[in-house]
Amino acid sequence: MTQWHPHPDQLVEFAAGSCRPGISIAVSVHLHYCSRCRQALSELESTSAVLFEQQAPAPVADTAFASLMDRIAREPAPAAAPEPQTEQRFPRALAALLPESLDELDWKQPMKNLRVTRLMKDDSGLIVGLHHMKAGGRVPNHQHRGEEISVVLEGGFSDRLGSYGEGDFIRRSGRDTHSPQADAHEDCLILSVVEAPVKLTGPLGWILNPFLKA
Amino acid sequence: MTETSPAAQQWADHLEAVARRQDIPAFEALFNHFAPLIKAFALSSGLHRNGDHLPDELVQEVMLAIWRKAASYDRHKAAASTWIFTIARNQRIDMLRRLRKHQNDLPADDIWELEANTELFGEVRQSRVQEQVRSQLSELPVDQRQVVAKVFMEDKSHQEVADEMALPLGTVKSRVRLAMKKLKLSLEGLDL
Ligand SMILES: [Zn+2]
Repeated sequence: MTQWHPHPDQLVEFAAGSCRPGISIAVSVHLHYCSRCRQALSELESTSAVLFEQQAPAPVADTAFASLMDRIAREPAPAAAPEPQTEQRFPRALAALLPESLDELDWKQPMKNLRVTRLMKDDSGLIVGLHHMKAGGRVPNHQHRGEEISVVLEGGFSDRLGSYGEGDFIRRSGRDTHSPQADAHEDCLILSVVEAPVKLTGPLGWILNPFLKA
Repeated sequence: MTETSPAAQQWADHLEAVARRQDIPAFEALFNHFAPLIKAFALSSGLHRNGDHLPDELVQEVMLAIWRKAASYDRHKAAASTWIFTIARNQRIDMLRRLRKHQNDLPADDIWELEANTELFGEVRQSRVQEQVRSQLSELPVDQRQVVAKVFMEDKSHQEVADEMALPLGTVKSRVRLAMKKLKLSLEGLDL
């Protein structure tokens, strides 16, 4: 059971489908690990369904049902993709962004203990990427700017605000400074969602803006 | 255990009839009830402003998806109206994103997985939450109800609702949270 969760406001926006795409990916990945948030989401979706049913209905054309049935008769249903039989390494929302092997990704290595790679940029300017910290590795103290979300995928790490393991959803906003250190026994893989960097800042720019295209 | 309402059971029965024997009268009953709601849902997000035909197109896409996915509906996992709402939400997300012509976005079904989200819940429990929400909604103060309707139905973030209603962001957030508390959602127990 994870200890760190999305903010309830984020779950509300996720349930309604209005949260930024990058954040919705992070929330989806967290849900894979967290039954408590899945239950909260189910309640929010149930609430939405009530509001959905209480809307004033907007009439559709009398012919709408007939033309739908025509289309069903004409268009064969696409073959359903076979469900994967084996347990996948990563939740579906993340797996959809990844190649077969993590080695195929374009990793940058700003320091000995840390590798980063960028997976996508959403239409709101959020960048979704991965951080990979070597077991026991520490990243020097730095400050974040803007919103940053991390979801631990494998292993764990700690900083002065807490320690985090698989599935934990960590929200950081500007001004938080920290010096994360990966757990000693295992490499730590983290999904990160950050505001698109504006510019490199100082010697630690790589950490602040790890997904800047070099 | 609370019984689910007759209407809720009826929609679940219809979905099962569609899944088992492609029952057209059952599908038509679902269409007659839900199509006008899907269209209202499309209009509330302003889809029609991108093209007059889009709300009707969303209705067709969602009802087609219901026809095709009915076999994956499991009444032990979800209330029928919640399942249909989630399909409508996902299709609307995809349609709105296609309009923005953004290349990188994942299909909504990859992010909002219909199956995974409801595994521990079930129709009876969802229906109980729905009953509770139904009875409490009418008790909400108008200002909370308005904000909740916008945040849940109109594809607007808290910030966008705040901008539109000329309210501070904090006011929108606190109205939503007060409403969640009155609706007795367990979300209220999360770290507010
Ligand atoms: Zn959680």
